[in-house]
Amino acid sequence: MEYDENGVSIVPAELKKEIFEEARKDFRYEEYVRGCLNCGVCTGGCPPHRFFDFSPRIVLQKMKSKDPELIWTMMDEYVWACFQCFTCAMICPFLNSPGGVIAILREIAVRRGFESAKKVLKPYSRVLLKLTAYGNQLSPDMIQPDFFPDWGPHIGYASTDLAVKRKAIPMPTLQVTNLAWDVAPETMKELYDIFDEAGVFKIIEAVDPSLYEIIQDIVDDVRSS
Amino acid sequence: MAIEISNRLGLANVKSDYIHTAGRKLEDIHERLLELEAKGEVKVIHVKDENKPIEAETLLGWKKKIPTNKLWHHKSCGQCGNIPGYPVSLLWFMNQMGLEYVDERNQTSCTAWNYHGSGTSNPVGLAAVAVRNWHRAYELGLFPLFHCATTFGDYKEMRNLLVENKELRDEVRRIMQKIGRDLVIPEYIVHYSEWVHVMRFEIAKLKKYDLSSVIATVHPACHTYKMIPEDCIYDKDIYAGKRTAVSTGVMLALGAQVADYSTWYDCCGFGFRHILTEREASRSFVMDRKIRPMVREAHSDVCITQDTGCTTTLDKNQWIGKAMGYTEQVPVMADVMFAALACGADVFKIVQLQWHTTDWRPLCDKIGIDWKKSEEEYNAYLEELKAGGKTVNLYEYPKS
Ligand code: SF4
Ligand code: SF4
Ligand code: SF4
Repeated sequence: MEYDENGVSIVPAELKKEIFEEARKDFRYEEYVRGCLNCGVCTGGCPPHRFFDFSPRIVLQKMKSKDPELIWTMMDEYVWACFQCFTCAMICPFLNSPGGVIAILREIAVRRGFESAKKVLKPYSRVLLKLTAYGNQLSPDMIQPDFFPDWGPHIGYASTDLAVKRKAIPMPTLQVTNLAWDVAPETMKELYDIFDEAGVFKIIEAVDPSLYEIIQDIVDDVRSS
Repeated sequence: MAIEISNRLGLANVKSDYIHTAGRKLEDIHERLLELEAKGEVKVIHVKDENKPIEAETLLGWKKKIPTNKLWHHKSCGQCGNIPGYPVSLLWFMNQMGLEYVDERNQTSCTAWNYHGSGTSNPVGLAAVAVRNWHRAYELGLFPLFHCATTFGDYKEMRNLLVENKELRDEVRRIMQKIGRDLVIPEYIVHYSEWVHVMRFEIAKLKKYDLSSVIATVHPACHTYKMIPEDCIYDKDIYAGKRTAVSTGVMLALGAQVADYSTWYDCCGFGFRHILTEREASRSFVMDRKIRPMVREAHSDVCITQDTGCTTTLDKNQWIGKAMGYTEQVPVMADVMFAALACGADVFKIVQLQWHTTDWRPLCDKIGIDWKKSEEEYNAYLEELKAGGKTVNLYEYPKS
């Protein structure tokens, strides 16, 4: 993949048009993109705007321009700056949802397995694995000092004698270490069927094929249990 | 209308005749849901008398019935995995009040943290996961109570999308039939903080300590009040109805002081993806935009939260802040955890503050809670468990 001087990938004009059409066809699009006053209220309240070259006002303005070239410039790193906090949607006088637009664009980026999406999501694979294979997004044994050194020495508390500390939690569902709560295998099987039918597994295959293989092994094991 | 300010620390106690509506005039989705039910398009999980509902008012003045009994706990991954005292404190209150509930293994994550972090799902997937969990509560004859703010925000959004879009309903119904379930939608999407809010005066009756010297700052979670804001509780007696009332309400009922600070509306910095993969952004946001103003402007003794991600982000990122010259520190815990402490719940066995990173001991000392005794007892309990002892649980599962 080649990139221009702004770090935007160089692709044929045809693909840019396709992407815009795909976004516009999303059934939430009309709800999220209404009139835009260009007032910047959304950007004023947008948390990542303080740290990144990112602005929800720009997101709305580019969508309103209907120019596939402009919209394409957001498809790589740009869309991944958003915190998905929906401050913009809460305060926009026109009731636009720039955060909602970002969600639509991100879906397209992962569905099509864009290189930039793959790169951004690589460090996220542990969460994706837990979630897709077991129906939980975070587990106690993920909180390890080597992964969270910046959370201070107390993080080590969770990694010593974890099993007995979890056993001491007075909710039977929580007395496990490899999941946030003990999800029943029958429940996981229902979740796999949903992921199959809704195309969620396909999305993961597009964005991280090796993770997808690991997930499928676990899914096969649980399904045959 | 005269505005009465009785709290020198801020606006929490300001009363008003009006609720701030942010210029919104939106359709009441609740009415449309009932119309769909009448047409036989969907099944609805109703709030019944046996749920002992208490009515609250939302941003637009709509009534919302908050069920307080016969509840199905829809747990949060981040709470259960990382802040176990969060759900335990809630269940502990329900036990104190003799209320009925089910907490079980037949529940999945809402998957919305993942969606907002990585985009690796879609509305059909999210709505089908939501309906699966709703249907589980429905078949048990219980009303679902959602612990996570992101679940709350996502499920409100899915409820709205399902009500507004026949194609989505048809697709989700088709998937539900595949797994032997049906399309059901709860009459109201209810967050645990709303349960705490409507039960705040009952909670306050259990209070064991004088909290009048405690200054709290509240961090309202984005996904409770910014996602589908019209479905969130506002109260004319709390911030004059200009901010969401949950969490602040229970702190006032318990007799603590709630202080205002200039960045109250800001996000915590969690960012879904950022907390895991771009932590400099999260931690700078935590220290600059939340912790420092809470301490410098409000002299806060405790930061009160109402969500999983915020509790984690605000608590865990203060340690590294010191390396950057941020000396401000404030313990972080959810409204229900603070309330449990105030009502005499054990610091270690119930509120489980031992998992928290920022020091909470000075707060306990200020309130007069003997955390050292609690720690000794907990350590002895761990030894018993190691030697094969049995856990003293809040409920028995599975039921025989
Ligand atoms: S999206 Fe809304 S808040 Fe943002 S610039 Fe446009 S009108 Fe203003
Ligand atoms: S949802 Fe995204 S664009 Fe909107 S305010 Fe939050 S971070 Fe900014
Ligand atoms: S404040 Fe942070 S964790 Fe809480 S809802 Fe907002 S982004 Fe999520």
